[in-house]
Amino acid sequence: MPRPPAGEAAIAARSLRRTFKGGIEAVRDIDLAVAAGEVFGFLGPNGAGKTTTVRMLCTLLPPSAGSATVAGLDVVEHGAEVRRRIGVALQEIGLDPVQTGRELLELQCGLYGITGEAARDRTEELLELVGLTDAADRRTKTYSGGMKRRLDLATALVHSPEVLFLDEPTTGLDPASRLTIWDEVRRINAGGATVFLTTQYLEEADQLCDRLAIIDDGKIVAEGTPEQLKAEMGHDVVSVSVEGADVSATKAALTGLPGLERVVAEAGGLALYVEDGAGSIAEIVRLLERDQIRAGAISVARPSLDDVFLNATGRRLEGQDRAQQSADTPEVST
Amino acid sequence: MTEVLLLGRRATREIVRYPEATIPTLFIPLFFLVVNIGQVSKTFPSTTPFLNGQGYVAFQLPVSLMFAVATATSGLALVTEIDLGYFDKLLVAPIRRSSIIFGRLTADLVRGIAASSLVLLVGIALGARIETGVPGAIVIVLLAAGFGVAYAGFGLLVALKTRNVQATQSSFLLFFPLLFLTPNFVPFDRLSPLMETLARINPVSYVIVGMRGLVIDGWNLGQIAAAVLVIVGLGAILTGLSLRVIAAYDR
Repeated sequence: MPRPPAGEAAIAARSLRRTFKGGIEAVRDIDLAVAAGEVFGFLGPNGAGKTTTVRMLCTLLPPSAGSATVAGLDVVEHGAEVRRRIGVALQEIGLDPVQTGRELLELQCGLYGITGEAARDRTEELLELVGLTDAADRRTKTYSGGMKRRLDLATALVHSPEVLFLDEPTTGLDPASRLTIWDEVRRINAGGATVFLTTQYLEEADQLCDRLAIIDDGKIVAEGTPEQLKAEMGHDVVSVSVEGADVSATKAALTGLPGLERVVAEAGGLALYVEDGAGSIAEIVRLLERDQIRAGAISVARPSLDDVFLNATGRRLEGQDRAQQSADTPEVST
Repeated sequence: MTEVLLLGRRATREIVRYPEATIPTLFIPLFFLVVNIGQVSKTFPSTTPFLNGQGYVAFQLPVSLMFAVATATSGLALVTEIDLGYFDKLLVAPIRRSSIIFGRLTADLVRGIAASSLVLLVGIALGARIETGVPGAIVIVLLAAGFGVAYAGFGLLVALKTRNVQATQSSFLLFFPLLFLTPNFVPFDRLSPLMETLARINPVSYVIVGMRGLVIDGWNLGQIAAAVLVIVGLGAILTGLSLRVIAAYDR
């Protein structure tokens, strides 16, 4: 599979901006540099600007300002050549429901100049790759969500693209289908393709991405490897479930906690950023008892990407369950 | 060209697999054909001068052919594709955007030939006789299918501009005035002065007259040329506008 020369960015954006009618600034002057062969994650909540960025990089939407290159080519000046080198699976699964999986893949091959026997062979290969050989001759409208997503991914791969854009590839999928897609992404990346992946799932970004950028309200608010970003937080996170207790009173009771850097009130509890999480639990319990506050569970976790997101934006990512992310951390009930 | 054929084959497959989208577009013209004949066959017996010895079905047949081919089916298919996201998949492929339009129009040509052949056969079964014989019948089918292709550009244009299924669906209604402000029931000279003026400035009239001549009167190259001119002109304008809109789509 071809790659841009070593050291050249597979994707680069400089002051990229997109303003929609009515002055809505979906993407605000973002800079990006994705190295060839990376899996780069673009993490953010709904409406943050992820899809708009992907559409600009895929030549579907012109930037209002700034510039971007993909595979070394300017997306505005050399749109046609960029399209030859990229594969795209957009958030909205782009399948024709009337065609069968095999017909769609053969058509897709044809659109990329692969015809005849080569198209039939490539179609077989891809059907096998995404596990759809048995369903190949069924119309895609009969496919499950996971099957559709896998076929959509296969259509993005017919021409072995240099750069693969995946816009929320697992949104709406069940956990098993999500794992299958993750495996595919890893396999595609191992084959040499650069992968630009948008997601609103922290675990997905953590598991798949070599590096990631967090986007919020059209701006990149943090960037680095998942480990770097978490390490930069430099503290543990203690979650205190408030249950029936008064949040303000609980917060006030804990302000004197030694090593406390920050307290953030969130749904159903408080997140305490402390130097030594495990060592703080006894003191937290003592302070709550002193003020006769009956709080719920207390758990300690190393900072997660959600904490990175919280730190960068002042709020947590929508729909994330912190308890799930710290399931293996100690928990104390008061 | 390969892209157009690939996309045309896909769109044609769609017609075959979704007969429920095509059958209603055939029901209306056949219904009008039967009802109109039933209502006025006594008023216009075969001795009527402009019928040239034929039944009224021969006079009405071209109108039904126009109804059969002037549909918003392609526009609806395109707007559905936009809605489902497959259109984006095509836009991001390394193909000329125009091939998306020409692929759809290829299917319109196939549909137009099939639909007009069927209506023509029904007309013949109801008693119409094609004065110009089989060659004339072939020209009639090609004129009708050609008009269908030209008119399909309107549905595509509305689909691309509005990206709305309902708007595209209702765009078909705009064809009704165009079809009725023509010599659809009687020749130009039997219309009231106002209606005659309107009919004469309506280009659709000349497609009907061209086909009708082939059914009733025989070969008239002037009438055929006028019909071809209207079809080519209408096609050039509507397809040209669709191509402009798709080229600028989200740009």
